[in-house]
Amino acid sequence: MNSIISALSKGIDKSGIDRKKISVPSDIPFMPEIIREIGVDYFQTPRGRAIAFGTGLKLGNPALKVMPVVGDLMTLGGNHFVHGAKRNMELLVICVNNFIYKKIGGKPVPSTPAAFSAYSTFEEPFNFPHLGNSCGAVYTARWTALHIDEFAESIAEALNKHGLSMIEVIAPGPNYYTAINNITLDLLNFYYENSVIKNGEDPRNIGITPDEKIVVGKFTDKERPTFIDTYNAQLSKVLGDKFTPHGPAPERTGSGGKNA
Amino acid sequence: MKANPKDVLTGTYYIDGDVACGYGALAAGCKFVGGYPITPSTEAFETICRKGPLVGAVFIQMEDELGSMAAVLGAVWSGVKSMTITSGPGYSLMMENIGFAAMLETPFVLLNIQRGGPSTGVPTKTGQADMMQSRWGSHGDYELIAISPESPQEMFDYAIKAFNLAEKYRCPVMIMSDECVGHMTEKVVIPEADKIEVEPRRLFTGPPEEYLPYKPDPDLVPKMAKAGDGFKLYITGLVHDERGYPVKDEEYKSMYVKRLVDKIRLNRDKIIEIREEGIDNADVIVVSYGISSRVAIKGVEIARKKGIKVGTLRLVTVWPFPDERITELAKKVKAFVVPEINYGQIVFEVARCSHGQANVILVPHGGAGVHNPNDIADAIENAAKEEKKIEGVVEYKTRLEKLVFEGGLKLKE
Repeated sequence: MNSIISALSKGIDKSGIDRKKISVPSDIPFMPEIIREIGVDYFQTPRGRAIAFGTGLKLGNPALKVMPVVGDLMTLGGNHFVHGAKRNMELLVICVNNFIYKKIGGKPVPSTPAAFSAYSTFEEPFNFPHLGNSCGAVYTARWTALHIDEFAESIAEALNKHGLSMIEVIAPGPNYYTAINNITLDLLNFYYENSVIKNGEDPRNIGITPDEKIVVGKFTDKERPTFIDTYNAQLSKVLGDKFTPHGPAPERTGSGGKNA
Repeated sequence: MKANPKDVLTGTYYIDGDVACGYGALAAGCKFVGGYPITPSTEAFETICRKGPLVGAVFIQMEDELGSMAAVLGAVWSGVKSMTITSGPGYSLMMENIGFAAMLETPFVLLNIQRGGPSTGVPTKTGQADMMQSRWGSHGDYELIAISPESPQEMFDYAIKAFNLAEKYRCPVMIMSDECVGHMTEKVVIPEADKIEVEPRRLFTGPPEEYLPYKPDPDLVPKMAKAGDGFKLYITGLVHDERGYPVKDEEYKSMYVKRLVDKIRLNRDKIIEIREEGIDNADVIVVSYGISSRVAIKGVEIARKKGIKVGTLRLVTVWPFPDERITELAKKVKAFVVPEINYGQIVFEVARCSHGQANVILVPHGGAGVHNPNDIADAIENAAKEEKKIEGVVEYKTRLEKLVFEGGLKLKE
């Protein structure tokens, strides 16, 4: 978790965004109090609700930059993610994937690759960037927790995107699982060394399996009107001068614009 | 603080309770509504979607009620007054985040237009069977406020009061209305903005480094801050200390949860609103709320014509419950008659508070309709004649039940 927080901090610096304006709603990866030291506002929500809570933060005050850090993304929070991406709500979703429910003794999650645990899991895992890309996210990327520079670079880029961005970060699970799976190397190194950078790869081809290298990189980078853009456009059309558009005038100075 | 004239749609209207509640919310300064449409509450959501954008209120139709409630809480922490609108099945889904709001001391208003339950029940018809859910629905110990209006005018007035109480005590406030009041069309007078008092957010105004998000004021309610103002908020649904940091010790747990319930319990005299009529010298008191109070007026009238001394006590705020007042009255009267559209919820609160001093009679109704006033009148008459003290709650057998259970009802072919 500390390497993730340090990447967050670096990424925010690079993005040039005022830390005060950043809110981090988070569900299962309980952030230690140290998150305060990077200067953001932090909210630990019920499991899966970080994206929905973040939607309220963003609509209540569009000047905020909202960065949900989520663990239960595709279970309890799955529908919030799907709809957040569909309506292109301006959120940067950091999805921490450790393949496991760490706090409750290592139950399998929707991202657990088949044949990964002792008795194995028999379901196909989710491919997060592919799901995000299909639902309409404007930015998707995946890194391991050791790709700190690349991860931070992605955070900086994504914070300046207009719409829903998602970055999956592969992080270590609990130690006893490493023994069960005969992973004796330090897990961080294990993930790092077993990954291959393929920027611009078609997200359909990057599912994680136990036998292949983990594909990391930036997969989606495109532009679409955000929820607030379309809300303002539609209500201005219907109500004319009686309607004052919501939030600050959209800035269009960010990076991106290329379709990966 | 007075309401903002921009938010108040001053005038005389002929509208239903749902619409009136929407106008009331806007007048109170509500600037965010997250919801998911559900019969019979949709008109309230539609009202805010239609009128809200003209006064700077934002709406979003979320993917479900779990998301609606979470988005409302996010919007509150971004600094705006917020509400959501729902009915039975949606209300059940919102319970998770209602407990979260109680834990975070997040002020918001929820309008529940109750319909027939359980489950999908009878979506288009009335019920009053979510009253205990409003009090105990989410897990853990917490207290909140619930109000039960009986007319469209009250839907407007008490929408404003609900926002004021939420901001004052930093807790969820439920407007526990029902389909009848929600869809009842009557005259509603919306006054000028300078006649409407609105409670501003209790914001901390000192330097951020001195801010302790959960350090209570003398009335046990802490001051709030907004996201984005440099407070480096650390806000969690875990039990927390004054800084907001998680703690697990039993001492802290007791200290924190005790304050959470005490801030409502110890302020209850300021929160509770009841209306009494004809209480002096009464032998029987009818205790009711919401649409059942409207129906009870007729029942009381019939009983009074027969010379029975009957008074009424209407619960405008249902939670917190007026324990002391019921206990006091129980010593003076023979019986309480409680008509409600369920098989016994608030009646057990009345029985709890009357400590066996007065008989307690439930006039039940299964929902999808309201009471026959003659049932209420007969229950009053029986209660007045009864000389014995009867333990527990007596269930009055209504005409409808006799019809259903004593062979009078034929299945439709």
